[in-house]
Amino acid sequence: MAEALVIRNLSKRFGGLRAVQDVSFSVNENETVALIGPNGAGKTTSFNLITGFHRPDEGSVVAFGREIVGLRPHDICAYGLARTFQVARPFGRMTVLDNVMTGAFLRDKNPDTAREKAREAIEFVGLSAREKTPARDLTTIDQRRLEMARALATQPRLLLLDEVMAGLNPSEIDQAVALVGKLSTRGLTIVIVEHVMRAIMSVARHIVVLDHGQKIAEGSPKEVVANEDVIRAYLGSSYAHVPVLDET
Amino acid sequence: MILGLRTRNVAWLGVAVVILLALPLVVRNSFAINIFIRILLFAFIGVAWNLMGGYAKQLSLGHAAYFGLGAYTSTLLQIDFGISPWIGMFAGGVVAMLASLPIGALCFRLRGPYFAIATIATAQVLMLIFLKFRDFAWGAEGTTIPNLGNAPLMMQFDAKAAYYYIALGLLALGLAITYLIERSWMGYYLVAIGEDEDAAEAIGVNAPRVKRDIYMISSFLTALAGTFYVQFIYFIDPNIAFNFSVSIEAALVSIVGGIGTLWGPVIGTVLLETTSALLQRWLGSSFVGVQLTVYSLILMAVILWRPTGLIGVLTDACARITRRAPARV
Repeated sequence: MAEALVIRNLSKRFGGLRAVQDVSFSVNENETVALIGPNGAGKTTSFNLITGFHRPDEGSVVAFGREIVGLRPHDICAYGLARTFQVARPFGRMTVLDNVMTGAFLRDKNPDTAREKAREAIEFVGLSAREKTPARDLTTIDQRRLEMARALATQPRLLLLDEVMAGLNPSEIDQAVALVGKLSTRGLTIVIVEHVMRAIMSVARHIVVLDHGQKIAEGSPKEVVANEDVIRAYLGSSYAHVPVLDET
Repeated sequence: MILGLRTRNVAWLGVAVVILLALPLVVRNSFAINIFIRILLFAFIGVAWNLMGGYAKQLSLGHAAYFGLGAYTSTLLQIDFGISPWIGMFAGGVVAMLASLPIGALCFRLRGPYFAIATIATAQVLMLIFLKFRDFAWGAEGTTIPNLGNAPLMMQFDAKAAYYYIALGLLALGLAITYLIERSWMGYYLVAIGEDEDAAEAIGVNAPRVKRDIYMISSFLTALAGTFYVQFIYFIDPNIAFNFSVSIEAALVSIVGGIGTLWGPVIGTVLLETTSALLQRWLGSSFVGVQLTVYSLILMAVILWRPTGLIGVLTDACARITRRAPARV
């Protein structure tokens, strides 16, 4: 299987803080990989390094065979890597449709075509009923949906989702899990940062665990939840006995 | 449907155009015509400013730089080389566009209020350059534009109405450009940058390039206004050409009217210019400075009461009227 994303020895320091230290992992095409770890472990920083918002001090990021360190965020998006933000960042003054159209313009500058593509993405995430709503009036889950639709409208090959399930209630989490699964079956490669373990177990086949900026474990969900270091650093001892229910 | 306009809107626009075209034929009072010209001119500058300051929320307070560059370019071409201001006007636009490149490259490194302060400085620096280098462009004394009588080819007219029509043409040009940009990908990109530049970058918007391009368009248009203004008053000096109040006025009319909207700057100018002209006339002679106090109070009231601009009041009113109207089949 071809590798979509290969990260090698990625490091970033903010002053005296080593936010990310020597992290390496890779993601195969059409695979969903989860990045987990306690707050401040360096998950979001890793996303920022991959998508060009921060420049790594060391290391390389190769996406679909090309080195992308040093490219600007918009170049990386044009190359096929789209991201969402941990705190949803919709263009509040615009309607849902206009938000998503702005993403669609990347591939086609014609407003009619962009509108059509945007509608497809909006329907995919299940926001069609809110098409004309100003983005600032959306609920949390709908804002997350909007972020996904906007990212999808750029027609990415790899999608980086930063805590799309934070702050959602259990039934909303189920909807979000279903959505991520749907994206995956569409052929997208997905890297997901998440805290909700139940969700991770059901969407990811491969998990990378970060703590204090370092990778402490990597493997299948089953391996990861059984790993002593992961339990100590992140999951807490109760997780040691939880069987993995959903192994897809 | 024409260009996405509804037939009814086209009809309204037609009525407005006819009224505006007929206005100088009906109103003969030169005080009134002067106010109309000022309104049209500042509405045009506001429209030019609004493209960048309103849609993309890049709050420039240095548009006087381009106003002045336009004014000086056409005047230098006219006096030193005898070139018509009609050509000089567009030459000035090109000079302003080119000047916006290095100015933008420096100022766009900053965001928010820091950007605004940096742009103020650029206009002030240009003013000082034109003040100090006398051999180049008459220094602080400035110069009068040679009066050629009625010379339409040199943008000089006996009739005030002619200037009115030029200003009207400029405003129409500015509005047409805004209308086209608003509906294209660029309009969406500008608003996206204004809302959240990082989020825009994340979906493939090349923010630095879009900002550079809109700054060039905005500067070009502002320079046209500069040329027109000196031709209208027959005089130029650095203090007139690069006056800070031009920068302020450009931003103010848009903010009061409603930034990031097609008609916002027009509505803002009509209100502010009319108020200031009338206050000047009524109160200016009795108590010196009192008209400025009243003007400031009105300004504060508008900004406190309607921070998103007066256009919101109008659209709300329209919505209320149409809702009350019986449903059309």
